[in-house]
Amino acid sequence: MSYAYHEPSELDEALALLARHGDDAHAVAGATAFMLLYRQGLLRPSHVVGLRRVRSLGGIRDDGGALVIGATATHREAERSPLVARHCAALARAFASVATVRVRNQATVGGNLAHADPAQDPPAMLLALDAAVTAVSPGGTREIPLAELFVDVLTTSLAPGELITAVRVPALAPGTRAAYVKFLPRTADDYATVSVAATLRRSEDGRVADVRVVLGAVGPTPIRATSAEDALRGAAPDAARIAEAAALARDAADPIDDVRGSAAYKREMARVWTERALRSLVA
Amino acid sequence: MKLAHSSTVPVPVERVWTVVMDVPRAAACVPGVSGVSGAGEDRFRGDLAVQVGPVRLSFSGEVAIVARDDAAHRATLRADAKEARLGGSVHASVEIALARAGEGCALRIESDLQVAGRIGELGQPLIQRKADQLLREFGACLARTAA
Ligand SMILES: Cc1cc2nc3c(=O)[nH]c(=O)nc-3n(C[C@H](O)[C@H](O)[C@H](O)COP(=O)(O)OP(=O)(O)OC[C@H]3O[C@@H](n4cnc5c(N)ncnc54)[C@H](O)[C@@H]3O)c2cc1C
Repeated sequence: MSYAYHEPSELDEALALLARHGDDAHAVAGATAFMLLYRQGLLRPSHVVGLRRVRSLGGIRDDGGALVIGATATHREAERSPLVARHCAALARAFASVATVRVRNQATVGGNLAHADPAQDPPAMLLALDAAVTAVSPGGTREIPLAELFVDVLTTSLAPGELITAVRVPALAPGTRAAYVKFLPRTADDYATVSVAATLRRSEDGRVADVRVVLGAVGPTPIRATSAEDALRGAAPDAARIAEAAALARDAADPIDDVRGSAAYKREMARVWTERALRSLVA
Repeated sequence: MKLAHSSTVPVPVERVWTVVMDVPRAAACVPGVSGVSGAGEDRFRGDLAVQVGPVRLSFSGEVAIVARDDAAHRATLRADAKEARLGGSVHASVEIALARAGEGCALRIESDLQVAGRIGELGQPLIQRKADQLLREFGACLARTAA
């Protein structure tokens, strides 16, 4: 089996190719996720539309305090970008947590979000940072908050033929701290068994003014642990309060048994790693 | 792979039973089903299109009612389908049981699924999620249809 490979340099061209070939076409960026499914025989497109040469999809920029990462920026570019590091060091760390340098040189930020494997690293961190993707189709452009992008395992709310052009991370309120932790009991380049992304901002009196906690790899999508957030908001984040919030995060997790551990074990690890992430934010 | 689905429908059991045993009408409640037609006594042919993440599957196959007990509201169905896009097949044995539950009806569907060929590469967790989702939507649609 083989396919016709298209490499348009304009976004309109890419959209037109996808629209014209419909179900027979598949978009690729770094092709890391695509090739795995293709080799397994699970994808059988007759047209593949490569996005890497579409210049308007690349690059990383600051847009009035918001960080805008183009869809075809690679993980390696993002992890080494001074703009990303300045915006949020934990986000740079989440990009750097993906697999190996070899994968990160190839895999793109947009491809990662569109692939929507719940065990991936950047989605949890980007959701904690309240990011949104810009998506474009022949019908126009729309913003999709990450909370609405991820629908199920490997499933997004993107329409067929719709493309992510960039992910936009809003400016963080001054004093906001962020953490990304990834529990890797097997090998350093594995997918997470559990990951936790969190942001926290304290008011002058030391109480928690704002907090977001997101769990990765323990559900069909990254999971926002809102009950844990509610337990912290307005409270003094002492050890007892953090332990209470972490226990609520365990209850928010919805993992499955797999090679990385039983559901019960992962739930417990969600508690442990939420506690660690939160403690690091108030240390 | 075994799957179990139960739900309650606020419709009397007799009415739900009539819909369930009208296979073309019941099949219309499974999202992605099309072209259902009779293929002999208690046998039906049809197509099912399913999307699992980026993977699109299209099945064609047959459903047969192999046993039914109208008084007890129980039936056993057998489904055999081939997947043409990627290659593979699914064989399922499905037990349907309805019971009175107050004014309404308790629906229980137990399936035993065998997946063969390339579509098995999707892996059990993903296949199970998709099957669960289809069953849930089927149950909800049945409630609307029988109401
Ligand atoms: C060996 C290995 C290890 C990995 N380990 C990790 C890990 O530890 N952590 C982690 O987070 N991830 C991991 N991954 C997953 C990796 O992050 C993704 O495969 C990668 O980010 C996908 O990006 P890509 O550019 O290669 O996408 P592609 O493979 O090109 O595309 C993936 C999917 O997204 C769609 N797509 C691509 N770009 C767009 C766009 N702009 N708009 C709309 N749809 C688009 C494609 O149609 C395709 O369906 C691993 C992958 C491999 C191969």
